[in-house]
Amino acid sequence: MGKVRSLERHYSKWGYIFVIPFVVVFLIFHFWPLGSTIYYAFCYLKHAGNTNPEFLPSIGQPWYKNFAEIFKSKSFWDALKNTLFFWIAQLIPEWIIAFWLAAVMTDRRAKIKGRAIFKFAFFFPKLVAGTALGGSLLVFMISFFASSVGITLAISEIDGFGLTPENMEFFTSVRFFIIIVSIFLHFGITFIYAIAGITGIPVESFEAAEIDGATRTQTFFRVTLPSMKPMLFFITVITVVDGLGMIEIPSYFGSFDTLRRNLTLMMYLENQAFMGSYAYDRAAAASLVLLFVYIVISGFVYFFLLYDKDESKAKKLQKEARRASAE
Amino acid sequence: MSTNIPSLSETKKKDLILKIITYILSIGLSILILMPFIFLMREIFGDETYIQPGPGGTFEIVRVPRKTLMTFKEFLGLFNSWSFIPLKNSLIVSVTSTFLNIYFSALTAYALTAYKWKLREAFEKGIIIAMMIPTTVASLGFIQLTYKFGLINKLFILIIPALATPLTVFFMRMYLKATFSQEILEAARIDGAGEFRIFNQIMLPIMKPAIATQTIFCFVSSWSEVWVPSIILLDDNKKTLSIFNSAKVLAPPGGLELMMVIPPILVYVFCSKYIVEGVALGSVKN
Repeated sequence: MGKVRSLERHYSKWGYIFVIPFVVVFLIFHFWPLGSTIYYAFCYLKHAGNTNPEFLPSIGQPWYKNFAEIFKSKSFWDALKNTLFFWIAQLIPEWIIAFWLAAVMTDRRAKIKGRAIFKFAFFFPKLVAGTALGGSLLVFMISFFASSVGITLAISEIDGFGLTPENMEFFTSVRFFIIIVSIFLHFGITFIYAIAGITGIPVESFEAAEIDGATRTQTFFRVTLPSMKPMLFFITVITVVDGLGMIEIPSYFGSFDTLRRNLTLMMYLENQAFMGSYAYDRAAAASLVLLFVYIVISGFVYFFLLYDKDESKAKKLQKEARRASAE
Repeated sequence: MSTNIPSLSETKKKDLILKIITYILSIGLSILILMPFIFLMREIFGDETYIQPGPGGTFEIVRVPRKTLMTFKEFLGLFNSWSFIPLKNSLIVSVTSTFLNIYFSALTAYALTAYKWKLREAFEKGIIIAMMIPTTVASLGFIQLTYKFGLINKLFILIIPALATPLTVFFMRMYLKATFSQEILEAARIDGAGEFRIFNQIMLPIMKPAIATQTIFCFVSSWSEVWVPSIILLDDNKKTLSIFNSAKVLAPPGGLELMMVIPPILVYVFCSKYIVEGVALGSVKN
């Protein structure tokens, strides 16, 4: 036993060696910028290209000045509200479509063919995102949905459902199209990862559920989802990161939305930092708020999905036992 | 009693209905998604289409027909020496950053799986926390860093940070957790292979499916990144394709758009061959 342990120790130094590049680059290019962003939130740092932050209390200002400024501005609260609204409105339909399709396509009994082609098609918008093709996608979506919405409106007026065009206003607004296009751009990623997660589950679990006479819905919620928890966590993190950081699609519309009704937090941040007054300090304060939102949501998801109650309990017991034996 | 249990033909009927719904839905979605590609072609060779603000926050679509359709010769003329500079820059940034990202993420995940070191669990927790904080939050500090050290217009400043991507490490770790076997490692050690060689020659091929999946995602995200590059790269000779494409002011010619679209598709087609399904990926081992 002792020999094995010394052998393990002999090799364990390689664990440290292999993570050195990661740690060094992470500290310099990710951790330092994050730390300095937090510092700038409490500094005076304006004008383009200014690299000389002045700590607020040292120049006779209250430390919370930047936060007070952004909390006072109406557009910041609009941006926060819009971001959360867009994210949730995008998340729910996207996940329902993606997981439903993934579950059916991987179902052994249904035997759906052409999964590779569908995967490519669903992932296609992401492959070409950020190009003008994203713009053509928008144009296409708008012309497709706008005409169908128009037809719906016309029908509802004829039939006298009591609906007026004002009731349907949301469905012709820019907000609705932002959500629709975001779903289309993003759901392929969720779909691909969901398929990867489901196909990773051992076939025996599904067989057992089948023998027990579980329906498809039961199997999905009781077997599939609990068995792919790490992948579910991964998918959730991606959705949170992409959804709350959304900037491209709203800003595509934003160039002519003079009232800035569809401002998101990232757009607000960009506007503060690289337009007009170049208020890096206010942008830093805004990114701190964004960071806070990220941590709250992701932390909640982490404890919901990955936190192992039994394991932490066992660890606590172990610690106590060790302490008791030491005494 | 027997009425509660669906007969065999009834289940078959249900299966068939489910199948038909799935096919209709997924084929419909595919058509809806692939349609814009035809629109792009039309934009290059036919009408120009753009969105215009309408009254009261609405918008309208304007189509301006070109006087003549772009000929193939004209189209080839777009691929001139001027448009190859951004293409080259984009390729340099995306290819190297994807390579660094994948290789070092795999290495880090391997270190977490194969060796038992003291800080391992703390390090893994740190990775999980770090992956929940996207780099966009720290982009302000990052830009200040480049200002401070005069790294503006340097391509490598966009490449190096990709080396440390916690999200990829988490994915690789998930894969290794399911596929790693201590026996292979020990057999290789007995054969006298060094630790570094074991990783390069034995572990990397095992991780091929995870590497292929992540290569697609990393390449695509790095290829289409706009915000930070557009602030750091100011010299026209250093700008990447995505910057030119996003700047509508410059009115990118259709050829640039096509150049922007083709490499990610090629990467996807090449990598999707290696994505093997059915490997225990991201599942809980019992």
